[in-house]
Amino acid sequence: MARTFGHRTREALAPWLYLAPALGAVVAFTYAPLGYAGWLSLHQWNMMPMVEPRFVGLDNFTNLLTLPELEQALANTALHLAALLPLTVVLPVAIAILTQELRGPWRNIYRGLIFVPLIIAPIVAAAVWRWLLDPRFGMVNAGFKALGLGPVAFLQDPDLALWTITWITGWKLIGFSTLLVSASLAGLNPSLIEAARLDGASEWQVTRRIRLPLLSPTISLLVLLTILLGAQWSFAYIHVLTGGGPLGSSNTIWYLLWQFGFGSLAAGWASAAGLLLFAGFGTAALFLLWLMRRVSFHDD
Amino acid sequence: MLRRRHALGLAGAALAVPAQAQAPVNIRFYNYNLASAGLGRDATLEMIASFTAANPGVKVEGVAPPSGEVMARIQADVIAGNGPDLAQVIFADLAYVVENFGIRPLEEIVPAEDLRSHLAGMLPNGVELGRLDGKTYGLAYVFSTPVLFYNADLFRAAGLNPEAPPATWEEVREAAIAIHKATGKAGLITGIFGPSAYDWLFQGVILSAGGRVLSPDRRRLTFAEPEAVAAVRMLRSIAEAGVMPNLKSDAQIETMSTGNAGMYLQTSAVQSALLRGAANRFELRAAAMPAFTGKPVRPTNSGSALVIMTKDPARQRAAWALMKHLTSDYAYTIITSRIGYLPLRPSAIESEQHLAPWIRANPIVRPNLAQLANLSPWVPHAGPSYRQILTTMMNAAEEGVFGKRDPEELLAAAQRRAQALMPR
Repeated sequence: MARTFGHRTREALAPWLYLAPALGAVVAFTYAPLGYAGWLSLHQWNMMPMVEPRFVGLDNFTNLLTLPELEQALANTALHLAALLPLTVVLPVAIAILTQELRGPWRNIYRGLIFVPLIIAPIVAAAVWRWLLDPRFGMVNAGFKALGLGPVAFLQDPDLALWTITWITGWKLIGFSTLLVSASLAGLNPSLIEAARLDGASEWQVTRRIRLPLLSPTISLLVLLTILLGAQWSFAYIHVLTGGGPLGSSNTIWYLLWQFGFGSLAAGWASAAGLLLFAGFGTAALFLLWLMRRVSFHDD
Repeated sequence: MLRRRHALGLAGAALAVPAQAQAPVNIRFYNYNLASAGLGRDATLEMIASFTAANPGVKVEGVAPPSGEVMARIQADVIAGNGPDLAQVIFADLAYVVENFGIRPLEEIVPAEDLRSHLAGMLPNGVELGRLDGKTYGLAYVFSTPVLFYNADLFRAAGLNPEAPPATWEEVREAAIAIHKATGKAGLITGIFGPSAYDWLFQGVILSAGGRVLSPDRRRLTFAEPEAVAAVRMLRSIAEAGVMPNLKSDAQIETMSTGNAGMYLQTSAVQSALLRGAANRFELRAAAMPAFTGKPVRPTNSGSALVIMTKDPARQRAAWALMKHLTSDYAYTIITSRIGYLPLRPSAIESEQHLAPWIRANPIVRPNLAQLANLSPWVPHAGPSYRQILTTMMNAAEEGVFGKRDPEELLAAAQRRAQALMPR
């Protein structure tokens, strides 16, 4: 009797024991910091050991949500993400499909060239673009001048700064997306394409009816990544090239909340900003995942 | 008390024979000049090297956070248990550092006679800025004033007299328009805005217009009062004439030093970077900060103090020796001639072995030296949200100058929001 009981307890405990390391890690590295951030977001504290945190209720959230810069930053973020999609999704899919049929070294040379921007460190890329785009000495403007056009202040003109940042972010990501799409193209079942060709389908029909539907999980993934992470990827370029300016015209929600939350290690502001971003982008992620399941086509 | 006296005795002895064989002392020195070639990295490295050469028992590890990030870096490193032993702290942050990091005044950690004799050689109104409640928490180190640098060649090209640079904002505006019309180049650029500018130059402009950004007791913000609004409107009228582009600070230095701007109002700390760019290309000159007609000009100083942060007596001794070295006649010769900050030791200015010949050969430094007489302190903002207050104010002012909305409304709205962040 006692033995059976002990045996049963062991059996009931076993799965928990197996799970313990993973659960422990999730609690220690995800939920505990999240809980701590929640606590910090209700306090005013600069993390100094000699200073007591002061409870301020929801003040940190109200302060952030009533920033007059918030509306502009949200609008900029939406525009930035929408403009990133052609660069991180449409163009890579087109490049991958067009280079797929190339034979021999050309395919690798093309894809290698497209991939290069990805391996350049963001800060270096930002510095290079700053010089390329300089209104007076930059090569891009020298080209414009040769065509008889005036210099363009890509980073100083409030109407252009956001688009310049978007282009640099997208330029850096084209290689990554192309790589992902190429990999899944290579994994498509070739017999489907052969069968279609035997039936007399044109190259466009093969792409439209077979390749794109089979690529839809990859495409959805790229859309998801761009929307959830695109504004983070541009952070380094904004920081180095424009500081969110001129006049907030290239400020995104990430950069704005970083400016107000992290300038003086204000743990309360920063935690509140983190929770707001977590809630906002978490909701967006849930919606996108739901959408992905509905539109993606799986070749089972 | 007995222990302290004992420690002071030891300190005196160690300083008297610095080269004596003992365990090497490592000190971490946070210095923002090290972070930027345009702001004196090489000159600072040279001063540190000459110190370690003379003091083989001390090793100095220079840490280089950019000036806008010094505080965040110090704070993060202190919390992580690896803070600086000696830090260059911007005056705007000094009160915050002293209140939050348990800093002890120099009077308690260095020999009294040593401190007295060293401070006696320095400019009294400089030393005063490192004091809080009568105690010296920071040793005034690098100081600069706002200087109106100008390109004399562009002045001539626009038919202006480079011998009579503009002295008021109205004259600055007219000169900027004339230069832009004649040459197509930027008439004026200023270092008032941007993340590393804090509000030190803005405060000088507002003070010169007869206003203040916050009340003398640091409890009430006043940057939306009529005088401040008038100052912002003046700047806006220059921007609206299309002759003042809004550039980031690195682009400002590039534009001015390549001869692409007529005037540049900025800290004198950029002087050597500008001189290097101008050499053999155009004639760079300097004038005092412009005044508002009928009002006295009130230049603010930008600058920093050296603060001992370590609690370890041996490191405190080493840090104090380095501080004395960095504020010696020798150091100010380098600091003034190779970076562009003010010499805080009159003896360095007068000495033929130090700065006197250089000052004769470089009249460009005179407006900066002359402004030492009427400096107004740069007033730090109050409370733990001082950085957010600063950002709110400067964003509104920048939009008031370069944007489309009405400056009065912008500043009033920003002042309401920032006042709510002040300590109650």
